[in-house]
Amino acid sequence: MRRASIYVALVLLSAVSVVPFLWMLATSVKHGQDIYTKVPNLLPTDRRTGEWAATLENYDYVLGVGGLGTAFVNSVWVCLILVPAKLLVDALAAYAFARIPFPGRDKLFVVLLAGMMVPAITLLIPRLHVTQALGMFDSGWGLIVPNIASVLDIFLLRQFFLTIPAELEEAALIDGAGRMRVFWRIVLPLSKPVLAVVTITSFLFHWNDLVWPLVVLNDPELYTLPLALQQLVASPDGGRAYYIMAGATLAVIPVIAVLLVFQRRILQGIAFTGLKA
Amino acid sequence: MGWLLVTPALVYFVVFLLYPALSALYYSFTDWNLRTDAAWVGLANYADLMFDDVKFPHFWKSVRVTLQYTLIAVPLTMAAALAQALLVNAIRRGQNLFRLLLFLPVVTAEAAVGAIWRWLYDPQYGLINSVLGLVGIPGQNWLNTPELVIPALAFISAWQCGISMIIYLAGLKGIPTTINEAAVIDGAGPWQRFWRVTVPMLRPTTFYLLVTGVIAALQVFGLVYVIFSGNGRSVTGGPEQSGLSYVLHLYLFAFRYDAMGAACAMSFILLVFIMIVTAVQFRFVKQEAA
Repeated sequence: MRRASIYVALVLLSAVSVVPFLWMLATSVKHGQDIYTKVPNLLPTDRRTGEWAATLENYDYVLGVGGLGTAFVNSVWVCLILVPAKLLVDALAAYAFARIPFPGRDKLFVVLLAGMMVPAITLLIPRLHVTQALGMFDSGWGLIVPNIASVLDIFLLRQFFLTIPAELEEAALIDGAGRMRVFWRIVLPLSKPVLAVVTITSFLFHWNDLVWPLVVLNDPELYTLPLALQQLVASPDGGRAYYIMAGATLAVIPVIAVLLVFQRRILQGIAFTGLKA
Repeated sequence: MGWLLVTPALVYFVVFLLYPALSALYYSFTDWNLRTDAAWVGLANYADLMFDDVKFPHFWKSVRVTLQYTLIAVPLTMAAALAQALLVNAIRRGQNLFRLLLFLPVVTAEAAVGAIWRWLYDPQYGLINSVLGLVGIPGQNWLNTPELVIPALAFISAWQCGISMIIYLAGLKGIPTTINEAAVIDGAGPWQRFWRVTVPMLRPTTFYLLVTGVIAALQVFGLVYVIFSGNGRSVTGGPEQSGLSYVLHLYLFAFRYDAMGAACAMSFILLVFIMIVTAVQFRFVKQEAA
């Protein structure tokens, strides 16, 4: 009895969490007029005859006229370049902070961590100013370079590298392997769990990011998906929920796919890092 | 060698973190937009923000909106997360499935969340009003009624409580079963065990979620920006500025009204406020523990 009521509660809560997505999906495949029904309808049926009437015309519209096709491609490109590049920069720094003694290392690390305390919004305007001064305003580089490292990721990677037994590396160093070789051949392969967590969270963050593209881009041809979706909401099409929901679906599908594939890693990663995505 | 490896990260840190942080402080004392040179004005930006209600008529409104939002959204989100974690922790079969379903809203882009909820809250055809109608509650114009805007936004925040739920769940798994067993032997009922064992044992988790939750809520922006996009509403941040969060106010002054210096001042006021609130929370926890 008690167990049954727990399951009932969980099913209800899960419904609250999932139904908005089903509603989004249903709206996105309905013909315009069919979304205006008094009784909520999670199936794409004709509002008069009740017959099945699913359509992809809304996707056609938002991918073409709505600009979300270009934006989708842009988002893919940005993530393909930014996520691995950032991982490399962060992992190199984290390895040095974990293993290679150099003068001032630990003080430098503390300064880096202190930098994490500054709210992103405080940095936003001067960061934009720097980006402009470097000639990267309103360009693809402007999306990538100002995001190319993350103190939080350096911290997470360093903490993990510290747990790898140093003897492994020392043995390799004595056998004549160079530092970089040790890094590539020993440290990175042993760090797959943390590399996966950092890669996935960084993908989710940049795929979803609205604020930075919003301030650094003017040219609609360069818009990323969240920005293009926001612009669609703000446009005269904003009242046409079937278009907006088609756009939202395009933004949501890839992250849900990533979540389904990597659910273990993501949920475990969050549990042990306490990460705020 | 060590320096070589940290150089890329370090250059980034100096160029995109340290320098911006310091220059934000400098610019907060200037009259400035991105195109002209900054002109030193001393404390004028700070004074104007607080006392000049012609130049900044909605500054205090945005402060109130943000505080109200934080006071409602953070406890609501944490309560929802704890309830979900307790339920998920209480079952054996299907834990992974429910965890996954409850986590879905978290990975969704702010822009999509805003878009979806605008449609859910639609006064005429939105799902929320339809469902309320089925149980006899009259529909509301959620996003166009000033008193309802903050509760409506806070509900979205609670909808996205999945990360906190996962962290609470990890905290629950960390409670040694022997403690609960001992409590059962001593005759404690489920209610007593919840208040006397679970809640105290979860205190570090709760504290962590409280601090990070408050910091995030004070900076709420993307959601309100998208929710109040279009129909000419984005300029004001909802009906009677009822959804004008502090950071949205900051953004509008920086990018609509070209007052970058004042915006930097706003960002520093927020920085200091966040530091104070966080320090107070730490102090409070220390006293409780002592």
